[in-house]
Amino acid sequence: MTINWLQAAILGLFACLCSNSCMAGQAVGNYTIGRPLVGGLVCGIVLGNLQLGIACGVAMQLVYIALVTPGGTVSADVRAISYIGIPLAMVAISSQGLNPLGGSAANLAKSVGTLVGTVGTVLYYAVATMNLVWQSFGWKDVHNGKLDKLTAVNFGWPWVSHALFSFLPTMLLTYYGATAVTALQTALPMDGIAMKTLFTVGGMLPCVGIAILLRQIIGRVVDFIPFFVGFTLAASLHLNLVSVTVVSLMFAVIVYELEMSRGSKPTNGTTADGPSDENAEEDI
Amino acid sequence: MENTNNSHTLDHKTLTKSFHRWFWGALTCFSQEHMQTFGYMASMLPILRKLYPKHEDQVKAIKAYTAFFNTNPMLGTVIVGITASMEQARANGKEIDGETINDMRAGLMGPIAGIGDSLIDGTLIPILLGISLGMSSGGSPLGAIFYIVAWVLIAYFGQRFLYFRGYRFGGQAVSFLVGKQGAAVRHAIGIVGSMVVGGVLASWVNVTTSLKLYGSNGKVFLNLQDKLNSIYPGLLTVLITLFCWWLMTKKHVSAIWTMLILVVISLIGVLLGFFNPGLSY
Repeated sequence: MTINWLQAAILGLFACLCSNSCMAGQAVGNYTIGRPLVGGLVCGIVLGNLQLGIACGVAMQLVYIALVTPGGTVSADVRAISYIGIPLAMVAISSQGLNPLGGSAANLAKSVGTLVGTVGTVLYYAVATMNLVWQSFGWKDVHNGKLDKLTAVNFGWPWVSHALFSFLPTMLLTYYGATAVTALQTALPMDGIAMKTLFTVGGMLPCVGIAILLRQIIGRVVDFIPFFVGFTLAASLHLNLVSVTVVSLMFAVIVYELEMSRGSKPTNGTTADGPSDENAEEDI
Repeated sequence: MENTNNSHTLDHKTLTKSFHRWFWGALTCFSQEHMQTFGYMASMLPILRKLYPKHEDQVKAIKAYTAFFNTNPMLGTVIVGITASMEQARANGKEIDGETINDMRAGLMGPIAGIGDSLIDGTLIPILLGISLGMSSGGSPLGAIFYIVAWVLIAYFGQRFLYFRGYRFGGQAVSFLVGKQGAAVRHAIGIVGSMVVGGVLASWVNVTTSLKLYGSNGKVFLNLQDKLNSIYPGLLTVLITLFCWWLMTKKHVSAIWTMLILVVISLIGVLLGFFNPGLSY
């Protein structure tokens, strides 16, 4: 598999749309186009191997299932993971001749993607730093009362930052990187220590992603219990994720009712709804 | 909403325009120094134009929004809606000044960021992704498409709802997020999140050992992985995850260093024969 200039340029455009300060809005850009699962779909279509693209996307999504960016600090960059990492992983997997749906292909994808994603944080900070230039234009406009120019500052100029630090790096790295990844195949034999380690690490990397998530949701030691119940349902009873979610809803209802009745007076009426996000908002 | 034909009442079209500017542009001109400040100003611009016909009043009014702003962009939409209603009250001569508006923004952005990060990034998205990953196993695009449709609909209409709720109820709009019922809902959703995350880990991650001990007759007398499975299926996976959690939470090791520690563990494990992905050409 090779990547031509046109394909590399399309990947570069998607990189502009999806990175953390993204041109397609946060919900559509970063949280949709930027997710590795969606990136896998896009890369699969662009590079003409949908199945392999999705398989790589699934593998990498596991590592980055929780991409919380508290206070704008990032430990991984979605544009690099999804639009540099996935294409390179696809090239690597197909040049190694691995089964795209096998565990080894997934582990290779995770290692390549995580490496690229971590290094890619430099792109995130580069864009954010260059935006300071446009913001200085903006402050001047606010100061001089030229409010109409604020729209260009917020929606227009940042494209320049992305052209330099999203489009170009993605295009160049996917175009030249594909050749390098193929060359690497001869340099590193699959049964050598380096590749064995790479694949083993790939298998473990999602643990870091899950651990980041746990850091977010676990306050006390007892909070581990629902996590272990979910794990046991899937690992020992082999329930799929939709079934685990349904079982968890039962517990959620119980918790909700308990918390609501803990106060002095009984609550009336509003507790009947399920504890889903949308209902909670419409309740009042 | 009152239906006086007062020029100081924001119409639906202006509010929608302001909402769209936030939805698409909250973070386009992001920098570490000012973060979402410019996204905020850009989304308040249609409101100010509508409320203040005179240009110099617009210039005066926007000064309130030059202060630093950063929050969770999804849930934070409610704050933009609240300021729209406050700005309308200010234009109608109520006793609200730029400082009042700013105090409200500054007071809300912290709690909303905390709730939004754990509720949306930490719970809703992992649940959606967990379900989508299952649908995409075997290289099917179905899960990715499901995620795109489900999430974009939830994000768009959820944020739209929050914006207009903020506009209609002002400061009271957030009571459902921070009040007693909000806490109960968050706790309940947290249970769903924890269980699904456990399920995701068990379904998708499988750390195994290849360690086997051979007796003198060449037969395997200890297959460690089988033994571990008979104790608790997925034991190694859980242990590695807890180890990462412990490193990051208790030892304050960064995610990148945690990954490097895993590289070292893998290398040692491969050298000792504990790990072997079993590859060959």
